Amino acid sequence: MGLLDGLKSVLGVKAEADATRDADPDDLFGMSTAYITMEADLGYESTGEAALCFADVDSTDFQDAVDEVESILDAGMVETGTRATFETDDHGYQWVVLHDNDFEDLLTSIHFAADTLVERRYGSRLLAALFAFEHTRDDQTVYWVYSFRRGAYYPFAPDPHNSHERNTSAEFKLDSNLSDEITVEGDKEYWYPLWPDRPGYHPWE
Amino acid sequence: MEWQTDWGLRGRMALTMFLLFALYIVFLGALTLYFSNLALIVVVMGLFLGAQFFFSDKLALYSMGARTVEPEEYPELHRTVDRLAQQADLPKPKVAVADSRVPNAFATGRSKSSSAVCVTTGIMNTLDQDELEGVIAHELAHIKNRDVMVMTIASFLSTIAFLIVRWGWLFSGGRERGGQQVPVIVAILISLVVWVVSFLLIRTLSRYREYAADRGGAMITGKPAALANALMKIDGRMDKVPKEDMRDQAEMNAFFIIPIDVGWIGRLASTHPSTEKRIDRLQDLERELESR
Repeated sequence: MGLLDGLKSVLGVKAEADATRDADPDDLFGMSTAYITMEADLGYESTGEAALCFADVDSTDFQDAVDEVESILDAGMVETGTRATFETDDHGYQWVVLHDNDFEDLLTSIHFAADTLVERRYGSRLLAALFAFEHTRDDQTVYWVYSFRRGAYYPFAPDPHNSHERNTSAEFKLDSNLSDEITVEGDKEYWYPLWPDRPGYHPWE
Repeated sequence: MEWQTDWGLRGRMALTMFLLFALYIVFLGALTLYFSNLALIVVVMGLFLGAQFFFSDKLALYSMGARTVEPEEYPELHRTVDRLAQQADLPKPKVAVADSRVPNAFATGRSKSSSAVCVTTGIMNTLDQDELEGVIAHELAHIKNRDVMVMTIASFLSTIAFLIVRWGWLFSGGRERGGQQVPVIVAILISLVVWVVSFLLIRTLSRYREYAADRGGAMITGKPAALANALMKIDGRMDKVPKEDMRDQAEMNAFFIIPIDVGWIGRLASTHPSTEKRIDRLQDLERELESR
């Protein structure tokens, strides 16, 4: 903890400062080469889905911003073929789910959606971007979760058979093999699970 | 989302801390005039408070009859804490539940990694999901702001002053020279003044930190109204960590003839601002959200 962070704590404004800190979605682009390693070396293929999770804000202006994201993504669908769906999970968090078999298009659309929210000054509400991969042989689905708060990725591999169990060996393997290509969160205390409601489903479903 | 900074609150908090700090410097200076073994007192008290600080998380949970719960027992509660901690950029604290009908919640722990958030079964039954999120975010803001540490350090010398008021006469015992009696009485009087003033400053500081945690919590959830609703429902009965030696409060009550929880003395000595004032400030935040 730096001196400034310490001072913020002492003055009681650390929570306020961190909760309002903006995200920098440019850090997202690390995934543009990492997905090739995922496929070629580790046998994980993109499921053709990526999702952006953000916390709701109780205001009309925020709803306008979300509507703007929706219309931009709908307009882009003609060009890239990326289909966007909007979900709200049980915790009241909103998800933009993108479907496209071209991984580069997925990444571009996620970045676009995140960037729009940042420009509308809701960057601090961005929680995570998820890229879903599944193993070509077994039915293990893994996610690379990009945490906007931390500016780093972490792996999340929910056990497909047991509710709320993580496949830590799969996560370890992902961490070890991709840490050269993307920034991986070093402190595992920040590897937050984003549990799907039912085992075998995606967190946004 | 950009919120206006509450510079007034920050300034008042800084000023309160500065006054407290200045008071303690003067106090230490005055003490050295009367006690030659001052270093020993400070070291012993330091060890005592260090131990209290070190075990504060367990003590607080124990005193509330709370126990840490696993995700299997309270999956929803854990998932709520998960998401909010992620939003607040905080490692997930331990989650504890106290079996009590009183709607209450508090945060404890000296550092981010040893911290715990505790809620009572009563608060889970009283509040809806949004309101509970608001309350948990408020507690996470306390953890983020390191309130347990700040308040423990702030109360350190206040406790010494209290002990000197209470037991200061012992320091004069065992000394044969009669002339020593007068300075010890002066030291006890100084300690009494320091103790009363620091008590009031610490309570003021505590109230400011409640406002700061309300702001922080509202910014984590993005829903000031939900926290305001929660406060209205539990109406000021929400408490957090016992930050100080309980004896302070009991002694203070005995000291004033009027019980301190009434009138202006009560307001000065209260650790939490009134619910109405907290709701007023949350309404300001809510207006800020809508009026951009």
